[in-house]
Amino acid sequence: MNPQTEANKDLWKAIYNTGDLQHCFNCSTCISGCPASFGDPPLLVRNLARKVMYGLEEALFEDDTPWACVSCSRCEEMCPMDVKPFEMILHIRQWQASNDETRVPPSIVEIYKRGYTQAVGTNVETRQALGLDPLPIITNNPEQLAMFREMLMKTPVVAANDYMFGG
Amino acid sequence: MEFCLFLGCNTPAVRPDVEKAIRASMDELGVDLVDADNYVCCPAFGSFPSTDEDSWLATSGWNLSIAEGKKRDILVQCGSCYSSLRMGREHIMHSDEKRQRVNELLEPTGRTVCGSSRVRHVSEVLYKEITPARIAEKVKISLEGLHGVVQYPCHTLYPSEVVGFEDSPREPKGMRQLVEALGATVDGYSRELQCCGGAGGFMKSTPEQAIEFAKTKFDAILEETKADFIAVSCITCLMHMENVQNTLNKRVGEERYKIPVFDYNQLLALCLGKEQKQVSAICNVSRDKVHQFIANAKVAA
Ligand code: SF4
Ligand code: SF4
Repeated sequence: MNPQTEANKDLWKAIYNTGDLQHCFNCSTCISGCPASFGDPPLLVRNLARKVMYGLEEALFEDDTPWACVSCSRCEEMCPMDVKPFEMILHIRQWQASNDETRVPPSIVEIYKRGYTQAVGTNVETRQALGLDPLPIITNNPEQLAMFREMLMKTPVVAANDYMFGG
Repeated sequence: MEFCLFLGCNTPAVRPDVEKAIRASMDELGVDLVDADNYVCCPAFGSFPSTDEDSWLATSGWNLSIAEGKKRDILVQCGSCYSSLRMGREHIMHSDEKRQRVNELLEPTGRTVCGSSRVRHVSEVLYKEITPARIAEKVKISLEGLHGVVQYPCHTLYPSEVVGFEDSPREPKGMRQLVEALGATVDGYSRELQCCGGAGGFMKSTPEQAIEFAKTKFDAILEETKADFIAVSCITCLMHMENVQNTLNKRVGEERYKIPVFDYNQLLALCLGKEQKQVSAICNVSRDKVHQFIANAKVAA
């Protein structure tokens, strides 16, 4: 962790503006049983909560570990103080992504373009062999897809990074 | 019973036989399913929920509005889809401000969302609505003689107050009772509630550690149980628990990890007499032993 020149005491308001975080008492329950805590570097939810609370902005900005979370929500269930650590992780990601375009997940471009992260609907023959009808997917409905895209254009991430969504 | 079926992306694109198994088995149990036409990504937690709330909740709202238009609850198998849709609905329902904002974004598309459709996991509907007792009555082929272990989808357990349906999230019983309803013996083991570890960025960012993490689970299954199969009810669990076994075998240089993994609805469909080539056609860990057992039982029945 880089030494912090100056703490930003209002950081928590920018990231996770709920009273919940104030109740964190550092017990580490959120780490125990967290799959991503076995990673290298480990995702240590308690430490992330500390960084947010103490306003360690630079260190948090560079921290990749929130993106290793598998979203199992075990920490959300087990936290005795109802900090909602998984929601906090999503908020840290949102804060990073809205201040650093390299953090914007490429998956959202896929969703914008075809509605899904996977190429749903291209396995026509396999589906036929299994006796499945074609799915009513948005990729095959230009009118609906256009409306979906227009809706997304009005949201912060798409509006701020519109060059990514051009093609 | 009727639902709006939300398939997500992996099931129809990568494992359409699971889709077939869900459709065939639910139909047999008297559940009417209509497709969520023009649905989009749930959205996956690594996508819009990781960028901003407007794009996240507008996308949830888009999907929820489809079911609301049909006056049906949504039925989901994928754990991530289930949790994302439920969390999205929770945000939209419990904040007037967020609901207004989502409806403002939806308005030009001719959609609205009010929260009238609930989001239901297929294992919940089987366990709580159809019930294991009814399933046991309906099945034509029994798995008696086979041992199985179960993998609970984390997204159906935690956080229990948002996504849960078990009487105790610390001691879930649904998957066990559902598999027992098919006649199989379910062996418990120490790491039963351990996450498969397959979702999100864990595998992508630190694959070595993610595989080690999964190995602890498989070692526990091998040491503590007589498992002939693993029953899951989440597409990520299904794909990941197969892939990890193949990776582990390459590492240890022998076929040590070879427990077939089934989506529960696949086992159910097979026990209801459905065609194996349709409802259990795709796998990366051989299912021959279980398929053969069922084929033999079919001849005997
Ligand atoms: S479990 Fe909750 S209270 Fe304990 S350290 Fe984690 S966030 Fe803080
Ligand atoms: S939701 Fe994320 S941070 Fe929480 S226990 Fe699961 S992997 Fe860890």
